[in-house]
Amino acid sequence: MKEGRKLKKSNLHGGFASAQVVEKVQTKMKEKVSNVVHPQATVQAITPNRKKVELKKKKKKKKVAEEIGISNEKIKGNKGKLNKAKNKRKADEISSGPVDGHLIKQTDDDTNVANDATETRNRKSKKKRKMKLTSTKEIEKKNKAEEEEEDVYEISSGDEDCSRGMKKWVTDYYENRPGLDELQKRIDDFMTAHEERLEQEKQEREAKAAEGGWTVVVHHKGRKKTTDAESGTAVGSVSQAALEDKVAKKKKTEIVGHGFYRFQRRDAQRSELLALQTKFEEDKKRIQQIRAARKFKPY
Amino acid sequence: MEVDTVTDSRIQKVNSLLKDIRIDYDSLSKPVDSFVSSIREAIDAIPEGFKVTSELAPSFVRDIGADKVEFTFKKPNGFNLCGSYSTRCMAKPDASVDLLLHLPKECFYEKDYMNHRYHAKRCLYLCVLKKHLLASSSVEKVEWSTLQNEARKPVLVVFPVKKVDNFPGFSIRIIPSATSLFDVAKLSMSRNNVRSVTADGVAQPTPTYNSSILEDMFLEENSELLKKTFSVWKELGDALILLKIWARQRSSIYVHDCLNGFLISVILSYLATHGKINKSLNALDIFRVTLDFIATSKLWERGLFFPPQSESPVSKEEKLQFKELFPVVICDSSTLMNLAFRMTSVGFHELRDEASSTLKCMKLRDGGFEEAFMTKIDYPVKYDHCIRLHLKGKTAMSTSGFCLDKEYWRTYEQKVHSLLEQGLGDRAKSIRVVWRNTNQDSYVESGLSVLNREPLFIGISISSIENAFRTVDIGPDAENKTEALKFRKFWGEKSELRRFKDGRIAESTVWGTQQWTRHLIMKQIVEYILKRHLSLSSDDIVQLVDQLDFSLIYGYKDPISTSGNLLEAFEVFSKCLRGIKGIPLKVSSVQPLDSALRLTSVFPPEPHPLACGKIDAQRLQRVIPSCIPTMEVMIQLEGSGNWPMDDLAIEKTKTAFLIQIAENLQTIKGIRSTATENNVDVFMRGYAFRLRILHERGLSLVKREIGPDPVKHVSSADKMLFIRSQHASMINGLHGRFPIYASVARLAKRWVSAHLFSGCLAEEAIELLVAHVFLTPLPLGVPSSRINGFLRFLRLLADYDWMFYPLIVDINNDFGRNDEKEINDNFMSSRKGYEEDKQNISSAMFLAAPYDKASEAWTSLSPNLSELKRLVAYARSSANVLSKLVLQEHNDSVQWECLFRTPLNNYDAVVLLHREKIPYPHHLLFPSELNQGKHVARGKASKAFNPFLLPGDLKRSPEELKKKLMVDFEPTKCFMSGLQEEFGTLKAWYDHIGGDAIGLTWTKHNSKKRERDEEEVEINPIEMLKAVGEMGKGLVRDIYLLKSPRFL
Repeated sequence: MKEGRKLKKSNLHGGFASAQVVEKVQTKMKEKVSNVVHPQATVQAITPNRKKVELKKKKKKKKVAEEIGISNEKIKGNKGKLNKAKNKRKADEISSGPVDGHLIKQTDDDTNVANDATETRNRKSKKKRKMKLTSTKEIEKKNKAEEEEEDVYEISSGDEDCSRGMKKWVTDYYENRPGLDELQKRIDDFMTAHEERLEQEKQEREAKAAEGGWTVVVHHKGRKKTTDAESGTAVGSVSQAALEDKVAKKKKTEIVGHGFYRFQRRDAQRSELLALQTKFEEDKKRIQQIRAARKFKPY
Repeated sequence: MEVDTVTDSRIQKVNSLLKDIRIDYDSLSKPVDSFVSSIREAIDAIPEGFKVTSELAPSFVRDIGADKVEFTFKKPNGFNLCGSYSTRCMAKPDASVDLLLHLPKECFYEKDYMNHRYHAKRCLYLCVLKKHLLASSSVEKVEWSTLQNEARKPVLVVFPVKKVDNFPGFSIRIIPSATSLFDVAKLSMSRNNVRSVTADGVAQPTPTYNSSILEDMFLEENSELLKKTFSVWKELGDALILLKIWARQRSSIYVHDCLNGFLISVILSYLATHGKINKSLNALDIFRVTLDFIATSKLWERGLFFPPQSESPVSKEEKLQFKELFPVVICDSSTLMNLAFRMTSVGFHELRDEASSTLKCMKLRDGGFEEAFMTKIDYPVKYDHCIRLHLKGKTAMSTSGFCLDKEYWRTYEQKVHSLLEQGLGDRAKSIRVVWRNTNQDSYVESGLSVLNREPLFIGISISSIENAFRTVDIGPDAENKTEALKFRKFWGEKSELRRFKDGRIAESTVWGTQQWTRHLIMKQIVEYILKRHLSLSSDDIVQLVDQLDFSLIYGYKDPISTSGNLLEAFEVFSKCLRGIKGIPLKVSSVQPLDSALRLTSVFPPEPHPLACGKIDAQRLQRVIPSCIPTMEVMIQLEGSGNWPMDDLAIEKTKTAFLIQIAENLQTIKGIRSTATENNVDVFMRGYAFRLRILHERGLSLVKREIGPDPVKHVSSADKMLFIRSQHASMINGLHGRFPIYASVARLAKRWVSAHLFSGCLAEEAIELLVAHVFLTPLPLGVPSSRINGFLRFLRLLADYDWMFYPLIVDINNDFGRNDEKEINDNFMSSRKGYEEDKQNISSAMFLAAPYDKASEAWTSLSPNLSELKRLVAYARSSANVLSKLVLQEHNDSVQWECLFRTPLNNYDAVVLLHREKIPYPHHLLFPSELNQGKHVARGKASKAFNPFLLPGDLKRSPEELKKKLMVDFEPTKCFMSGLQEEFGTLKAWYDHIGGDAIGLTWTKHNSKKRERDEEEVEINPIEMLKAVGEMGKGLVRDIYLLKSPRFL
């Protein structure tokens, strides 16, 4: 989209043959070529735009479609010989520039309006009209801005070096997939290394123990450990989980229902009261907060 | 005792609400009185005795069909204040004070009740007043309005020049009353008073017309009665205000053919005078009793009758007659008129529904305060299927004009309703047709036809998705000749005679369509019926059904239509996995994790020709994407004691297992795969599945015992896997219960990512939010359409009080009291820091699900407070736009697209990407451009990557081609992770589905930290952005700087 506009500008400037402009056009052309290599891709990328254009400029749409069609055919004919095509197509592109540019201006307007959309949707149609009126002015402004913007930093495509950017990601992708065998080998290596390390650690520990002849005994607070820390198997009595399970089951199978004894009822009542009280406090706090936020306005 | 005061914290809320909504009458009485008296002065100054003719409002007089309307002007018989101001029951933002004006008897003849003469004179009288009021210095402007949307009964709204400070929009409505103007016997319900109302030459009774005049005659009396009841009972007044708030929030019942403030007070005073409410009740109790009365009372069947003033009680015959003429009867003390004469049975039904659903909410644990008073239930959120008919200049006028017994618009409403009711049958649970059309100020001057400008609104609640999506409607048997004829007459060429499986031969209609467009069947039917019977064109009928589908469709169809293949492929794949023999531990179970496998993915992967077993040379002719997304699948292995102990080693062992599985599949079944050190991806029938192993320890989470016990230690990877599998299976179940769930979730996800929130809100969190919309729909019904569900999702995001409440998503309905308490405790602890510092909270959006009661899974880190704030703001604005789009006239697609088009000027800097370097360019909704801010950098596209295979590639051998296929390669994600690593001070907003724009904002520093930072590094935003560009070179197209960080 942008390229089109730029191209048009280069047309407008016509005689203004600054080296920079030429360079710009050339670099743009390069991109263009890389774009059009995949006809469908570009077409698809454009479709959302086209839809909108359809609404307003049906005729124009046809033209674009034709153009795209033509350029597609051309590309198909030239595939593989892109470098040659580049020079040839330059002329075509530039001549088709203004049409493209016009279209793009339109769609640009749409996107702009819509970009501001969340705030100004209501006034949209009005604004659009305005935009159209001012669009010529804007182009002038843009041109000026463009000139001022000549210090825009150019980022290279990064295809030359693999340190950053797209090229790096692609290389990383392939490097990460060395094949199943290689991966298996790496894992095996890791596992042996890992086992060795474990073995070594164990030996060290044993050696330490053997050396001093004693180990530090740490005082355990609380329940006696029932599992072996290393293997994770239960060595002592029942595990806590099982115990809890049991307790839970036991509770369920009480003979008399809850609330049979007076103390139970009293307890239940008290705890419920407590729960309610805490809830009430909570609610009170929340209401204060909500009130601070002025939430009681259902309109 | 104590419990009583404790239980209802609701009462506190109600009191606060009342405090906010009540009006301070003491400070008001002075300005109101002075304005009223200045109005009276202005009116009294009108000279008497001049002749008033129809010239003042010729088109109005013509349109209501009145003859003989001349009269000589006399001053009014007096004024008095009435309505909610006089009973001190106004509820903000109401700001109009009703002023009754007694029409002088001298202006009317005895027979003026005939043929709309009264209505015409009434209007002309007001025209005179208007002219003179406009000349008064204290009047700013005078507007026309109507009494209860009845066009033939205009009223004047007068705005003062002097504004009252704490009473914005203050105005006075001048309502003419006609006390004892006519002989009431002439206006009894069985009489005909509009001569043109005939059937086959026989005059028909005109009960609605008669009631319209009687209403004016008893206005004063009834308002006095209300004043008497409400002035001595404060709680009753409070209850009235509550009921008004309640009703106003529900636009489907606070409308001309249902409830209004006057009727509410009438019902309340009925209850009061009949001892249904006693003085000990508080306002909230009265509110509840009233709702209960509305929802369940049997009295409605007989009708409500106030005790008559005269001694003679209402006879049975009279009662029966009222009941025959009107669906709802509230007879006033004069025993002559039905105060609810405008109410329709549909409206009343709707009212009862709303009342009972509110009562249901009030029985819930938190008392239903939010649902009853704070939740807006307007048409877009209430109805699944909304339709607008634009009838301006389209309706064939009935020959005898706008006003007969009923007004023309009311008759048209009825007609449309009965047509739709017949056409939709059991597909619709309820159909509401409302033509709210009297907001036109100029209609008195320019005639009643301008009232057609407003669109007629139709709201349909769908009964069930199965019904709505049914493709064949079976009509009467062919043998039943009369019924069959009727059916054919209704459906026209759409009806066909069919023989069904059970041998029946019957008339039927068939609505053929594809699986993924079945939500359009109702649309098809409605359009057909309305076109056939009302001779409307398609342009006049706007149905809000498929306007959002553009965001889910590419090409010509919804990609979800290929999901059948996908699920089949998954089935075969899991069978393959379970059947593998050559590995040490067999695969014991296979579970889907990816959202595509539960149909909630915005773009489920489509079969890729290069990911099939055999490469079909012919299919390669098309354009082939070079990337394929993966879908995660979780497997479990048989139990074993030989697993290593530490986490890293476990993960390695898992990969080793997966590699073995992959090799096994390759050698035995010839299924290809590719692997990295962390992932193994298997190609199956054109899809790529990524395998994950859940370690058996992960299963201990089922019992929900995550103690400090080292045995129970579960690595975070396993925990996450377990949570995801739980989530997947629960959502899958949900999809079975609510067929429309998946498409709403897809829309919601599309919206979230389109507004660049992909980094803030996990897909699973979105699924839970949408699930909440379906699981806790009260006070509404379960959503049954995309637009409705989507709107409710947006409203949930926008309106929920995220700071003070956890959102509990009880998927399988199994939370008990203890669970709720646990969740609440977790929530409270996450908000612990709030008191000291409002920023200091975790899980800004607290989502509790059955598998995750502490909101750890999806929202513990993001969205954070500021992200949530942004999200809520976006949701609110989108919800407003969507509601407006449903209700109002815009129907160009651009407006709808705005919902998904994010404004780029809300970021500090914007990075635009090369569109043709995004792996799935067709997922891009709108190409982004920017022409504001400073253009910092411009990048060239890389040649290293293309989203489609080059024509040259296609010529290569299949083996080489296969290598070209990139699995789960997403440059945007690579770029994002790079950004996160290297630029901590930048917060990036992106769209993971396929956007070409990334928004950047500078993260705020703590003030202390900032001081230090300033000394250490001076950050130059432009240099920084350049570095950003360098990092994403080949992908980054342009970088714009919109706002520099504040510390510079």
